[in-house]
Amino acid sequence: MYEPSAIAGLVVTAVLTAGLYALMSFGLALVYGVMKIINLAHAGTMMLSAFVVLELNHRFHLDPILGAIVSAALFLVVGMLLYVLAVRRVIDAPPIASLLLLFGVWLCAQNAAYFFWGSEDQSIVTSYTLATIPLGDVLVPVTRLIPFGASLIALGLLSWFLRSTDLGKAIRAVSQNSTAARLAGIRSGRVSTIAFGIGSSLSAFAGGLLTLLFSFTPDFGHTFQLKSFAIIVLGGLESFPGVALGALVLAVIESFSILIPGWRGSLVNLLAFTLLVAGLVLLPGGIASLLERRGKPE
Amino acid sequence: MSIVRALPALVLLLASCAPAGSPAQNAPAATEIKVGAVLPLTGAFSASGNYFQQAYQLATDEVNGAGGLDVGGKKLPITLKVLDDGSDTTKSRSLVEQLATQEKVNALLGGYDTTLVQAQQGVPDQYKIPMVEGGGAASAIFTRGNKYLFGTLATIDDLGNITMDFLKYWEDQGKLPKPLKIALAWENTDHGKDYQAAVNKGAKDDPAHFQVVLDQSFDLNGSDFTPLLTQVKAANADAFLSDAHLPDFITMHRQYTQLGLKHKFVSYGARGPDQKGREALTTAADYLVAGLWWTPALTDQGSRTFTDTWKTKFNVTPDWFQALGYDTARVLYAGITKAGSLDGTKVRDALAGLEFTGALVPGNKISFDQTGKPKTTFLMTQNLPNNEVAIVWPSSLEGSKAAMLPMPGTS
Repeated sequence: MYEPSAIAGLVVTAVLTAGLYALMSFGLALVYGVMKIINLAHAGTMMLSAFVVLELNHRFHLDPILGAIVSAALFLVVGMLLYVLAVRRVIDAPPIASLLLLFGVWLCAQNAAYFFWGSEDQSIVTSYTLATIPLGDVLVPVTRLIPFGASLIALGLLSWFLRSTDLGKAIRAVSQNSTAARLAGIRSGRVSTIAFGIGSSLSAFAGGLLTLLFSFTPDFGHTFQLKSFAIIVLGGLESFPGVALGALVLAVIESFSILIPGWRGSLVNLLAFTLLVAGLVLLPGGIASLLERRGKPE
Repeated sequence: MSIVRALPALVLLLASCAPAGSPAQNAPAATEIKVGAVLPLTGAFSASGNYFQQAYQLATDEVNGAGGLDVGGKKLPITLKVLDDGSDTTKSRSLVEQLATQEKVNALLGGYDTTLVQAQQGVPDQYKIPMVEGGGAASAIFTRGNKYLFGTLATIDDLGNITMDFLKYWEDQGKLPKPLKIALAWENTDHGKDYQAAVNKGAKDDPAHFQVVLDQSFDLNGSDFTPLLTQVKAANADAFLSDAHLPDFITMHRQYTQLGLKHKFVSYGARGPDQKGREALTTAADYLVAGLWWTPALTDQGSRTFTDTWKTKFNVTPDWFQALGYDTARVLYAGITKAGSLDGTKVRDALAGLEFTGALVPGNKISFDQTGKPKTTFLMTQNLPNNEVAIVWPSSLEGSKAAMLPMPGTS
């Protein structure tokens, strides 16, 4: 039997985990929204960013939060270069071409990381690694609060950027109809380049902050990538608030699954993939489209 | 008949008198011993794979440095051929087959870890080439009826057993509650299932000493163990036993500490004294108890010499990977010497009856049961502050100290 404080702890856990999941899914959603491609290099970007943050920490004693910001800036450029040099060439080809290309990029990144850093587990320890803040009877880990706060800030900034800036409006226009956007004078190639850069930057930021929570190797990120797929499918492939909602749904289900009698914790990933399949079959537009439909007058 | 014309008949006559299976009948006399190994030198297990390669090479160099291995009274040099499977199970098996069919190796040394050893394990019997492995710890490896496969790594069910023996002793000493309420978490792999089965069997067989109040599994490389740890907290146990690999150990124990959990006894199976784990967990790793195959804290002559040799040669302190790799190669070479032959079946038979003394593992002996499983055991260590490690079990081991139980900081 669980005490009320344990249930409160699960609620807090679910909310914080949702923030983490949303943060690592925004980049994937942006790239899909604008270019309609699944960025299979997303996990590779998160992993490489973790190692960049590790190097910054070891060589310059840079805190992982600052390291994640530096890494995000670095991968903005790397992402744009990747788009110009490779992704652009397959953007109009059948989807399998971009899938294979980005899968190849992921494998290259992984093998390069094995070459440079080896396969040993790496981790970053800070003064707040084990710190907690009491919230009533619940102890809230500082390292979980940071990605949660970062996801809220990222969501706010992304919403503002897409609604209030010319570049953001251009990105939205391209994501809605790239042909019409081109006819209206928007340089869709340039917009896609920047969007891919921002998507990579968001993935790198998430990967950098994940070092606060997890040890990592060049294999790092694939479990998170699979969960991100489930989240963006559930939330609606092109909607950031939808992604946040999708993340919350997955996190709540995962956290409260322990209340199911006879539940086996090793089945937790089954939940994410069941949601992925159910989302694709029953809710192709995700939660965002469901909310949109409910908001419309009959 | 001239002697020249009679010579072929004479040779045939002499050959027919030679004992069956002798080198004279089968093949030209061997001038070297070909030993092959497939290890993960790149990819996910490359760190451990390279440790094994270094250890195999060290044992081989020592034999060759002493003039070669004694095979039937003749000293033969060993040629060690190591191939890289890239941590890929499919490639691992096919490369072992390549060693058997193309390189025509006389004997095999095993890979690392359990999954790769399981991928390789059918090949030795298929080609009747003996293999000794020190990288697979799941008991399932020894349940498939293989006759040419031998392990030097005590299996995880034994880790569960020795942990229960250790706990029982400290309960009887009045240092832990009796019966001890155990919250058990295990990774959903053959490795974890061995541990779970052993702990549950120990509790079922001895309810006066043990009561399992939570029995929960988790997936490898988990992102959040908070729900599991919430269950652990609600179970109100005295001891927390978990079988986890290094990344999950780090994540789980960080979250355990952040949730403010405290138990009188905490163990993550074979995890605890790992340097990477201690760096990641800092003081939170103090007083954790682990079951290990070997530790540089051992003070017997063999372990001290090995540790010093390794430090001199590679400039790092060896861990159990290196020690078990070294023991594994030496066991194979002892089996070949005992067989007095390079014939696969004879070496296999010799290994089956071998009692290798001078091993580094606790007890300093390695022998095998009928399935090829080693008759070796674990030792228990406890992390102490300032990155120190104490051997706390079995008490008969040289240098063994009393465990600090209940763990300091718990009532």
